[in-house]
Amino acid sequence: MRWLSWLVVALVVLWAVVPWLFTGYDPLNGVPAEKLQGPSAAHWFGTDAVGRDVFARVVHGSVHSLSGAFVAVGVGLVLGTLLGLLAGSAGGPADEIIMRLMDVLLSVPGLLLALTVIILLGPGTVNVAIAVGVGSVAAFARLARAEVVRVRRSDYVEAAFGSGGTFVAVLWRHVLPNSLGPVVALAALQFGVAILAISTLGFLGYGAEPPTPEWGLLISEGRNYLATSWWLTTLPGAVVVAVVLAAGRISKEIR
Amino acid sequence: MSSTRPAVFSVAMLAVVGLLSSCGGGTGSAAGAKAADGKPVYGGTLTYLEHQPPTCLYLPAAGFYPNGGVLNQITDKLTWQNPETLKIEPWIATKWQVNDDATEYTFHLRDGVTFSDGSPLDAAAVAANFDVYGKGDEKLKLPPAEFVNNYERSEVVDQKTVKFFFDKPSPGFLQGTSVIGAGLVSKKTIGLPYEEQCQLKNVIGSGPFTLAKQIVDKEIDLQARKDYNWAPPSSKHQGRAYLDLIKIIVTPEDNVRVGALTSGQADYVRYVQAYDEQTVKGAGFTVKAEPTRGVNNGLYLRPGNSILKDVKVRKALQKGTNAKEVVDTLFTENYPQATSVLSHLAQGYVDLSKELVYDLDGANKLLDEAGWTRGADGTREKGGVKLQLGVFVAGPQPLSKQTLELVAQQWGKLGIKLEIRPADAGTMAVDIKDAEKTAVSHSMVGRADQDVIKSQFHSKNRDVILSTDKKLDTLLEEQSALADVGRRNAKVGEIQRYLIEQGYAIPLFEEPQVYGVAPYVQGVAFEAVARPSFYSVWLNK
Repeated sequence: MRWLSWLVVALVVLWAVVPWLFTGYDPLNGVPAEKLQGPSAAHWFGTDAVGRDVFARVVHGSVHSLSGAFVAVGVGLVLGTLLGLLAGSAGGPADEIIMRLMDVLLSVPGLLLALTVIILLGPGTVNVAIAVGVGSVAAFARLARAEVVRVRRSDYVEAAFGSGGTFVAVLWRHVLPNSLGPVVALAALQFGVAILAISTLGFLGYGAEPPTPEWGLLISEGRNYLATSWWLTTLPGAVVVAVVLAAGRISKEIR
Repeated sequence: MSSTRPAVFSVAMLAVVGLLSSCGGGTGSAAGAKAADGKPVYGGTLTYLEHQPPTCLYLPAAGFYPNGGVLNQITDKLTWQNPETLKIEPWIATKWQVNDDATEYTFHLRDGVTFSDGSPLDAAAVAANFDVYGKGDEKLKLPPAEFVNNYERSEVVDQKTVKFFFDKPSPGFLQGTSVIGAGLVSKKTIGLPYEEQCQLKNVIGSGPFTLAKQIVDKEIDLQARKDYNWAPPSSKHQGRAYLDLIKIIVTPEDNVRVGALTSGQADYVRYVQAYDEQTVKGAGFTVKAEPTRGVNNGLYLRPGNSILKDVKVRKALQKGTNAKEVVDTLFTENYPQATSVLSHLAQGYVDLSKELVYDLDGANKLLDEAGWTRGADGTREKGGVKLQLGVFVAGPQPLSKQTLELVAQQWGKLGIKLEIRPADAGTMAVDIKDAEKTAVSHSMVGRADQDVIKSQFHSKNRDVILSTDKKLDTLLEEQSALADVGRRNAKVGEIQRYLIEQGYAIPLFEEPQVYGVAPYVQGVAFEAVARPSFYSVWLNK
């Protein structure tokens, strides 16, 4: 079943890159007369209240959710790894200060932190991604530091310093590459978490502006129709679940 | 008049309400024995689900429906507007005289009426109320009310007689004394500063119900006043209310309200969405769609915006909006397509459906003339500026987001981008007052008097278009000072024509208030603009 998770992620990435290969419908402009139709051969995921094809909206929406998740993971990965690297290699007071700050960051619930950042930055796809990314900085920093501390004490790093390498050069050439493995695995896991967090914020109305299709927004839009038109929430929801599960499974493999 | 609650909170509230309603199963069954002969029964608890939490309960702000639903039960008014005939009938005032040019009103009050704190409802209390509603109070930060115009002063003639003077004719005042915002409160309440009058616990009225318990933003319990005996004389029911208790529970999620109703956990719900009407009817429940008789639900264009200052662009938007498609797609027969700025049941209405025909080619032509040319992505541009307009989703309007999305789709065909922003607490409060950021307002207002049009458009009232048009203000003021009904209606007609000609308004539909009611709830009644009155409601089960 290992290939299945890769297949799901590959499919969603393809949706994001070449959506027009997967659906011929316009995600923004529907046919009002064809509103609220159930799933059928013509409309795989049915249509919404203004007659837009839900499958088309999910496919076209993947680019927002995926790029958001990439930015979020990017922010977490870059900032977190840098801080972890600095703390782990410098040691002493710098280590103490950085890691205690990370402890503070960890103690704030993720969604609350993301909401706080959103209120500061204002809503929007990129801002949501940054907000989610900030929440994952601490996790990356801790992991990176632990690895760096291990690698920093190894013989080849001592040797590199002994042979005249500067602090920055040794960090860059020896410490960083050798401590990245677990960090990359965490990045894959965070990717799934970020999609979920971005969808959550989209659901709450902080993400992309309507009528932009964004997964969380799609789910949120459909929830009022739950009793009469189940497909509006259920099917986009199933897509999010599949992608998040697939990302988690891939992360396990990398590790 | 919109809720600015972050959605997180609503989600949390949903969970709470879910719990509440699941524990509360069987509320209302306390009503006495079933009345086999159809005679009203005293007692019982009515569970009423409200869509949004009430905001500030200062009486003149009671126009917001969640506020009105509460205040209509705990306050009485000087006069009563019969919702069927729209005639003004006696209530707390047993009779009244108006001079010929409508600058002096004398009201004779009913005997023995008391507020729920025991103080008497006499001429002095009424005068104190209207002094604030008419002029506001800067020291207490109380704004004047939109239903009183040209107010000068009051005079307490004797304990049961009060006289009001106006510096210009104020023909709307008599109807103004019957509206929800003119509810009478005790002298102690009216002397409190704004922040305190906003709180329900401080609002002491003379109505058939009083506050029993409030959990802010979640639940309000109202209990019947045992000694209440001053219903409007034309009401069949007199004496105390039939119900013992009303539980008003805030339930923002549409699904939960309808689900609670059909499963028997609630007896009465406000705001059944168009797509749920069939579910409610199908379960054997009643859907009550009450007209609001005011300014229609529509899009209101702000001339202060740098793009919309051009009347050609405004007219193009008006022509390029297909209201029929909006109604047919999203709504039901309870939402008639608008034929003017005002509802066809409003006073002074004129049929302008000929001016409001959907005309895509005409709209495109106007935009071409105005110098907006289509850019590479299909959006029109002029001098490097894109034809892009902002609007906020209006929480209180039914299916606002879907409506705006559909309109955005229609405007997309014209090469106009409508930027739809969700109603969130962070930015809305500031941006909505900025014509540059919020070029379009999605709103409506209900009141069964000609003055409703002034409420919506005058720069000193709600001012939805952030008016820069002096002529419009003048027309509205002239209207509110015309004593003769015929001439006043003609002026209201002129204003409607002017609003359409200038492209300030894109009327969509006549908004009803839609309620879902369980079959055993009897005596359901509404005031003239569809706020529920629970006074004569009883439970037949």
